[in-house]
Amino acid sequence: MIERILNMFTTVSNESHGSLLVVLLIGVVFGGIIQYTRIDKFEKIAGFAMLRDTTIVKLLFLAIGLASIGLYFMIQAGYASYHPKPLILGGIIVGGILFGASMAIMGKCPGTGPVSIAEGRVDVLVGAIGGILGGLVFTVYYDFFHKIMGESLGKITLFDYFHGHETALILVFGIFLSIVSFLIPLKQEFDEADLEQLKN
Amino acid sequence: MIRRMPWWLGAVMMALLLLFTFSTFGADRPLGASTYVPYFSGILFNLSPEKYPYLKEVHFAGAWEGVMLLGALAGGFLTSVFITKSFRFSIVPSGWKKYKNSSVISRLVWSFVSGFFLIIGARLAGGCTSGHFLSGMAQTALSSILFGAVVLASVMITGKIFYKSEAN
Repeated sequence: MIERILNMFTTVSNESHGSLLVVLLIGVVFGGIIQYTRIDKFEKIAGFAMLRDTTIVKLLFLAIGLASIGLYFMIQAGYASYHPKPLILGGIIVGGILFGASMAIMGKCPGTGPVSIAEGRVDVLVGAIGGILGGLVFTVYYDFFHKIMGESLGKITLFDYFHGHETALILVFGIFLSIVSFLIPLKQEFDEADLEQLKN
Repeated sequence: MIRRMPWWLGAVMMALLLLFTFSTFGADRPLGASTYVPYFSGILFNLSPEKYPYLKEVHFAGAWEGVMLLGALAGGFLTSVFITKSFRFSIVPSGWKKYKNSSVISRLVWSFVSGFFLIIGARLAGGCTSGHFLSGMAQTALSSILFGAVVLASVMITGKIFYKSEAN
């Protein structure tokens, strides 16, 4: 097992997708933003499911709006490229339903979960054990799950429908999402136990 | 000292982090955070990639995200200790006590079950909040826009059914 963990580091350092340090730093900043905005909280994610907290959707929509425009111009300048995921209808619909229902109940997603564990949430650690078993079942019964996922309809993006109007499309898309993020009313559900700690 | 970053500042920071990850001077790839789970399952249960084709498929993405995740654990821990001051061991979230029940067993069982299906769901769809929502929608990928719509609907319907409408 130790050998395979070391293999994880050599795999990353042998590929040209950022040095080990860069990838670790991306993670540190990722975890830091999630923790500092408190979007890893049960009260934020399950709170959104109950429509008592809108922080997460506001943050996501604005981040996507800004990043979509920035990414487009970075790609134009030759500093990045698109890597869209394939459209697999069965996988996305069945997976999306399972993912959404689990996210509402657990109050975490795979990115925010580890950040919650890092701040001492034991229930999320138990959820992560469930997740590891989920990963095991998916890996072992991949043939079965592959049938649910269905065939890929290709890596389609909105650009495929707006040839010749790419810049206009991305500006409308990005600005629209950003405006929506500000229009969604800010509702917040707090964790009283956290607020208590801040008083000390 | 401010202990919470406002949502819009968090969004700006997240967008910048995403752009850095995509850029050729960063990692030249999208930011994802669910492929590492089957990768870790493979390591923990010592599954051979030769025997399980899925492990071969996620060989690089899983390793990249695994390293990223170690950073996220460190970043989350340090921020919770020094900035948000929210580090403490707890089992039942305050919101669960308020809108569900106070049972430790109930929370742990639901957490385990939802953790299991969270990963099955993410791997079926090929991504999660980071890979599909953030990275995918920023590329206007149809797959990610559909995923976003299905997840938002599923989250809100589950929330309505699963939790009480009034606080306990």
